[in-house]
Formats: sequence, C-alpha cells, structure tokens
Amino acid sequence: MIETKREQEIVDELKEKFGQKIIETKVQKPRRVFVTIDSNSLIEVAEYLAHEKGFTHVSTISGLDLGKELGVIYHLIEESDLAITLSLRANIPKENPKLSTLVKVIPGSVLYEREVHELFGVIFTGHPDLSPLILPEKWPSGVYPLRKEWKVEDLKAKINRMRK
Amino acid sequence: MSESTYTVPIGPQHPALKEPENFTLTVDGEEIIDVKIRLGYVHRGGEKAFESRTYVQNMYLIERVCGICAMAHQLCYVNNIESMMEIEVPPRAHYIRTIVAELERIHSHLLWLGVAAHEIGFDTLFMYVWRDREISLDLMEEITGNRVLHAANTLGGVRRDLSTDIISKLRKGSKIIRERAEYYKKIGLTEKTILKRAAGVGILPYKDAVELCAVGPTTRASGVKKDVRKFDPYSAYDEIPFDLITYDSCDVAARIYVRVDETIESTKIIDYAISHLPSGPIGVKAPRSVPPGEGVSLLEAPRGEDIHYCKSNGTDKPERYKVRAPTLGNWASMARMLIGGYVADVPITLAAIDPCMSCTDRMTFVDANSDKTWTWSLERLRKHAKKFYGR
Repeated sequence: MIETKREQEIVDELKEKFGQKIIETKVQKPRRVFVTIDSNSLIEVAEYLAHEKGFTHVSTISGLDLGKELGVIYHLIEESDLAITLSLRANIPKENPKLSTLVKVIPGSVLYEREVHELFGVIFTGHPDLSPLILPEKWPSGVYPLRKEWKVEDLKAKINRMRK
Repeated sequence: MSESTYTVPIGPQHPALKEPENFTLTVDGEEIIDVKIRLGYVHRGGEKAFESRTYVQNMYLIERVCGICAMAHQLCYVNNIESMMEIEVPPRAHYIRTIVAELERIHSHLLWLGVAAHEIGFDTLFMYVWRDREISLDLMEEITGNRVLHAANTLGGVRRDLSTDIISKLRKGSKIIRERAEYYKKIGLTEKTILKRAAGVGILPYKDAVELCAVGPTTRASGVKKDVRKFDPYSAYDEIPFDLITYDSCDVAARIYVRVDETIESTKIIDYAISHLPSGPIGVKAPRSVPPGEGVSLLEAPRGEDIHYCKSNGTDKPERYKVRAPTLGNWASMARMLIGGYVADVPITLAAIDPCMSCTDRMTFVDANSDKTWTWSLERLRKHAKKFYGR
C-alpha cells in the first residue's frame, strides 16, 4: 500500500477551508497532488498554501489550452525533507483571460507569468512588467503561439512575413 | 533538431550553451542599480514541436533542450512518461541511469569551474579542469556511445548494459576525478586570485533565494537545503547515501565550493552504485501511447531543479508538454545579485549561476545620470574587469 496520508490531509484541509471554491482534487501518487480552484480565489488559496502550509516555492507556471478555456497551472513545492508538489490549476475563459498576479505572494513567479502571458495571452492583473520576454520584437500582437488555434504552418507564414 | 524547428521562434525558452541574451543594466558610475532581462534570442519552439511528435520521437527531441544536461532532461521526461504509463522500471536500469546522471553532473560542474576560472582571468585553472573533465566525457561515451546527447534512456529502461570492463574503468575514473576535485577545493579555499574575485561578490541572501525561488547550486550556496534528489527522490537516489551540500556565505565563492563538493559527492554516488549494482534486466517493453491524464516530473539537473509537465490525451502524442529548465528559475535571483555590485563583477556573477555562457554576449549600459547608453561585448567587459582589478 503506497502511503499518501499527508497528501490527502492537505486536500481535505483545502476542501474544509475553501469549500465550493475547490472544484476538483486528485492525489495521484506520493508527493503529487492536483487541485483545480475557482479562478477568483487564486490569491487567497495561494496565500494560505504559502503562508500556512509552507508551499513557498513556485517551480514554474504551465499554460494549457482547453478549447474555450485556458488553464493556468502553478506548480508549488513544499518546504520539507520529502516535499509534496501541488499543481494548483485555475481555468479562465479564453475570451477574457484575466487572472490576478501571484508576484506579491511569491516573488519568484515574476518571469513565469510573463512567459504564460506571452505564449498564451493570459493577462496577470497587477503584474509589475508584462513586457515581451521571449518572442521577437516585431511579433504581431494577438498571436499566442501555444494556443491550439495557431498551427505550426500558420506561425511559420507569420514569421516569414515578419522577416520581409 | 531538424531545420524546420529552428526556424519557428515559438515555444519555451531554453537557456542552453552559447545562447545570446540581453540584459540592460542601469549603472551609476561603476555600481549597478537596475537590471532588465530580455530572453528568447534562440527560442526554438520546442513546446509546440512536442505536440506534433510521438512520445518516442520526443524522447530524442527533449535531449536537444540542452547540450550539457541532455541526460537530465531525458531522464526527467522518461520518468514522467513511464509513471503516466504505469510501468515499473527494473532496478538495474535505475542504477545505470543514476550513474550516467552523476557523470553528467561531474562534466557540467567541471565545465562550469573552468568557465568561472576563465571569467576571473585564471586560465591555467581553466585548462587543468577541462583536461580532467575529459575523463567523465570518455566514460559517458563508453557507457552510452556518445560524449554528449547520450540517448542513454529508452521508455522502460536504458539502452545499454554495463560490462565488467566499463565498471572497472568507472571505478578508476571516479577515483581520479575525486582526487582532482579535492585538489581544486584546496585551491579554491586558499588561492588569492580566486578569493579576491569571488569572496563577497554577487551576494544572494538566504531570504531572497527562497523568495525568488532560486534553484540548484545557486540556492544551496545561499544556505537553502533544497535538492530534488533528496526531497523528491527518483531513479536510485532513495537507496544511495550522499550528502546535501550547502554553504552559507551566499557569494560566488560559495557557488564554487558547492559545485566542487558536489563533484566529490557525485564520484561517491557512482562508487556506491557500481558496488551495489543490482542484477537483472535493463528494461521492460513500453506501450506506444499514454492513457489520458497528467504528470509532473522533477529532477535535479546539474544547474538545479528541472520540472516537466505533461498532459496526455490517450494517443501516442502529448496534448501539452511543458519544460522549465533550471536557468530560467535563476534569472530573477541573478538580477538581485547584480544590483548593488560592480560592472567589473558582472561576468563572474553571471557565470556563477551557470547559465549557458553566452547569455552575456550583449550588454547594454544606461548611465543613471545622463541617460547615455552603450553596448559592450563580453570580451570588452572581460577586459574592463581585468583592468578594474589591476590584472
């Protein structure tokens, strides 16, 4: 029997404290927890995890194209000898992709948010500087290359035009 | 990587060797007061490319993320996919993976030590270190067939077994590397050239290292006890005893000592692994497709924590594959290290996080008093540093 008691405890505590704001949880295996939350409660859940539960390290932020929605996953790591990696996901509509910045809670998320902003078009409200980080200077606005509607061929055509 | 993937500037940014990146430093005389980072000059669109290739093809593409830590990325990838496929890798394969991963750490740390020596104008040390680094590259060639881009893994195990001949070569090689690393440690602790340029330079306090989520030797040199091999063990690391190295002086010197000590630990891990090598098969057959789901894989690459995220949809290609290489985790901390320091210390401070070197190829300076801007190449910057320190 694989031991996942501590992982289950964290999930139960989150459910108890935030109730309806926790949409989905999964304890996948030892040290791997996935939690989906209501996007409006991102900051309070992240603050609770960082300040009360020791999830102070944001390892990275992954963007995800889910069709009509965009998923933003914060991979948080606990301060512990055997640390749990908690992937905290917030889904936001593609039409209006806005999410509060996590920079005030965990300053290390500053570059990762810029990356997701650029490649998925998520706007992190309150972020100190969302200027281009990765894509070329003349990159057309509104083209978010990791969204599924942008096929490799379309992007190639865009880039070739940009070079001219 | 094929030509077409080079021409698509989309996807993640991978801090790899000889990568051009741009930092705009705001300076007041010699002192740096602000740093702005612009990445992406060699953005190859890897994450988009993963989505159109099969899991087997991606295993080789993922190695191309970084030429120095190819094994680290591939191991992180196969760990992730194998776990999602729910296949059990035989213990012998885990041990062989551990040995190759540690050889890679040795080669990367020694490469870094040589580069750091070069940055402070100590080229004799650079030559000696790179000579010794050859041992680890030759051993990796013996085991995998390649000095770099080893393709040591396959889904379900490793490609090649260790023969008794290779094991005896490993034992010899690891002994030489350990002796040399101990000698370099002695030099690092006593040689004035190093102390003058490294002690008290590029300070990253403990609190900042934690807040800015620094990773790897950079964070351990600020006293943070964080190593994926300990806190989220993979391969054979839960069975092999080794020390987690930290130093408290938070400067470039500490980053040197952490890496030299880790090189010594790596040789001990290799010695332990070859004397406790389990017998049995080196791999199992893996399916072609991955059931729908998601997986997160962590790994301690030579430069620090590497994280991969995969979302599968039941086919033989991933829906989404995300890679965050360690250097990206350290840029924010590096900006903090530079602020308040001298322009002359820029090369060694940049080098000290072990980014892939030419990150510093272009530097733009902005004078805080006159708004005048000018650009120096790394070579020009290095000359300035030598002149400033009277060498």
